[in-house]
Amino acid sequence: MSAQRTHLSRRGFLGGSLMVVAGAVVGCSTSPGGGSSSGAKTTLNVWYHAYGEAGTQQAAMRYATSFTKANPDIAVKVTWVPGDYSSKLNSSLLTAAAPDVFEIGDFNEGMARRGQLAALDDIYGSAASDFNKADLDEVTVDGKPYGVKMIDDVIMLYYRKSVLSKAGINPPQTYDDLVAAAKALTTKSGKGLFIGNDGLGDTPVLAVLSNGGDLVKSGRAAFATPQAIEAVAGLKRLHDDQSIQLGFTTDWWDPSAFTQNVVPMQYCGLWALPAIKTALGDDFGVLPWPAFKAGGTPVVRVGGWTSVVNAKGKNVDAAKKYVQWLWIQQSDLPKDWAQGYGLHIPPRNSVAASADKLTSGPAKDIVDLATKYGRTNPGTWDTAVSTAFNNAAAKIVTGGDAAALLTDAAKQAQADIDKQLAG
Amino acid sequence: MSTASPTRPGGLPSPPGRPANKAAEARRPRADRRAWGAFALLAGPMLIGLGVFKYVAIGWSFLLSLSEARGTIALGHWVGLANYQTLLSAAAFRDSLLQILLFTLFIVPVTFAGSLGLALLVHRIRRGRAVLRTAFLIPAAVSYVAASLLWKMCLFNGLPSGIANMIGSWFGMSAVPWIQSTHPPLYWIVLVTMRLWLQVGFYMVLFLAGLQGIPRDVYEAAALDGATGLRLLRRITLPMLRNTSVAVLMLQFIAAFQAFDEFYNLFSSGLSGTGTAPVQTPLVYLYNTAMGDQDYGLGSAGAFVLTALIVGVTLIQGRITGFGRNEG
Repeated sequence: MSAQRTHLSRRGFLGGSLMVVAGAVVGCSTSPGGGSSSGAKTTLNVWYHAYGEAGTQQAAMRYATSFTKANPDIAVKVTWVPGDYSSKLNSSLLTAAAPDVFEIGDFNEGMARRGQLAALDDIYGSAASDFNKADLDEVTVDGKPYGVKMIDDVIMLYYRKSVLSKAGINPPQTYDDLVAAAKALTTKSGKGLFIGNDGLGDTPVLAVLSNGGDLVKSGRAAFATPQAIEAVAGLKRLHDDQSIQLGFTTDWWDPSAFTQNVVPMQYCGLWALPAIKTALGDDFGVLPWPAFKAGGTPVVRVGGWTSVVNAKGKNVDAAKKYVQWLWIQQSDLPKDWAQGYGLHIPPRNSVAASADKLTSGPAKDIVDLATKYGRTNPGTWDTAVSTAFNNAAAKIVTGGDAAALLTDAAKQAQADIDKQLAG
Repeated sequence: MSTASPTRPGGLPSPPGRPANKAAEARRPRADRRAWGAFALLAGPMLIGLGVFKYVAIGWSFLLSLSEARGTIALGHWVGLANYQTLLSAAAFRDSLLQILLFTLFIVPVTFAGSLGLALLVHRIRRGRAVLRTAFLIPAAVSYVAASLLWKMCLFNGLPSGIANMIGSWFGMSAVPWIQSTHPPLYWIVLVTMRLWLQVGFYMVLFLAGLQGIPRDVYEAAALDGATGLRLLRRITLPMLRNTSVAVLMLQFIAAFQAFDEFYNLFSSGLSGTGTAPVQTPLVYLYNTAMGDQDYGLGSAGAFVLTALIVGVTLIQGRITGFGRNEG
């Protein structure tokens, strides 16, 4: 299909499918660590989800090879997992073929409390102070870090400058503005805003935060407060106006709807910036998700991926060594990972300072937005909790009773949070 | 069917003659042992495989359903029926059971009628039957995932350029997000058309096999008695197809209750899961519980609730249609 969607090479896809069929033991993994692996005593199994940008898989394999060069007794087998990464990871973690090192998006502290992740306090050393405080806090459970954040992903609104100025609309500063702009920009042939194929995407979360609310606060599900209810109920206006694009061929994390002129405003991530720049030149700007109303605050979501060590693996020490070598001791490789393919913010201040692609233009605007308005999902925001919340939001935007639905969802979420915190 | 050939009460054929019978009796023990050996050799690996990979797994899963198992499938943390309690008190799971019941009640008769009708039509055709049969069967070879992507991205996407919307625009309709529309629930059109496209051909072939098994002379005899058209269909074809129909019906019930692929693939974005989907089948719910949330105890409990439901419905259906009873 479109040029931006050539994520999966045919061979990569085939390899990935084979892996699903044959289980994690064989399949789309590289032969362990380059040429010098013959003398290796241990082989580390390292898992990545399939990043969309071209060159990422080769880069991950290159890093593994250089690690083996520096540590000839440890070979590294990189497994690239297309499709539903977390399900495949979760089922693989139960088996003997589980990865030793893997990555997770949106750190989940339940996994640490259940003993699935190894504590990494011994590999940080003095480098801990080099990490962005929010990123270190995110992976810390009961005083110990359980992962090393590899990249920060910033997610916000992109808008077409030319389209908005032609319609005489200023970049929206409040939620009311956004609703009005989306409505004004909706024509017979296209909608004004794309936030996700289901008409929600991350917006329920953004709504709560942009009205001064919280998702989970000190172990309590907090998304059924009056201000949270008001904000989520406000999302219905976008649906009533029919001003949002639904059912596009790719979802919000892919910039195709924006770059193909289907919509003039889209919720998407910093990672898509290179692709958007290639397609649209300078004709775009970035915005935070606006404050719900006076007294609220604009929000950008900071996600990203964290490298963690399987506590139940056979090679915990070698795995720790690998994570330490790649993400704490190296500086050019994390930099390459953050800006060589898609764009991401490196969580280490020293690396971020040298990331030249983030120092100008819209990239710099986004980095500033993240510093100012960045919010990370709480560590207890796992699938059960987020599903309860999103499910309620989906019913609210189609006319459900916001207060009742969110109160009920918060009750369900609380039961799960209690279980997580109990370990 | 008819009972033309005389059989003894026990169903054994009458012995052909004494001497031959005696010789056969003398030879039987050795032949039996050899037959048993061959049986064990051929069926053994399969039975062992079935035992290890099915029955042990089922038993393990049942024990898991009685324990708290998050992020592990180790047993030991027994919680009794708490998982079943949690599950049945979850409105989302109860909704999913209700939805799958309604879905089944709708899709099974439609698929049944569609495939039977198609089989009757294809059966009547004299020329090009093989081509038509193949054409209708081919969709059955397409995977649900591939078909879901086709339906979601090409036929029923929300853009004005989507095929369904394009056809609609010829009649002055404006573009509709088919999969996301809940008032009215247009997503059912997407789900139902896809399932019919995928399944009708397969069941049609089963019906065709049944139709070809009906002896011509029955029709000829009926024709001699003056039966034609609809009467032939009602009095001869359908009764003679009863066994096929019952089997097809049972397969369709089970397939409908196990609906997962299209519900998952049409509504999931691959990132945010299916939490916002307007309709969740029990299997999708359980998939999210076990695979997404790593709550294997709860997931196993759900699997047993669903299994009980399928077994119950199949038994009731067997009662009504007489599946497994001897023909005649």
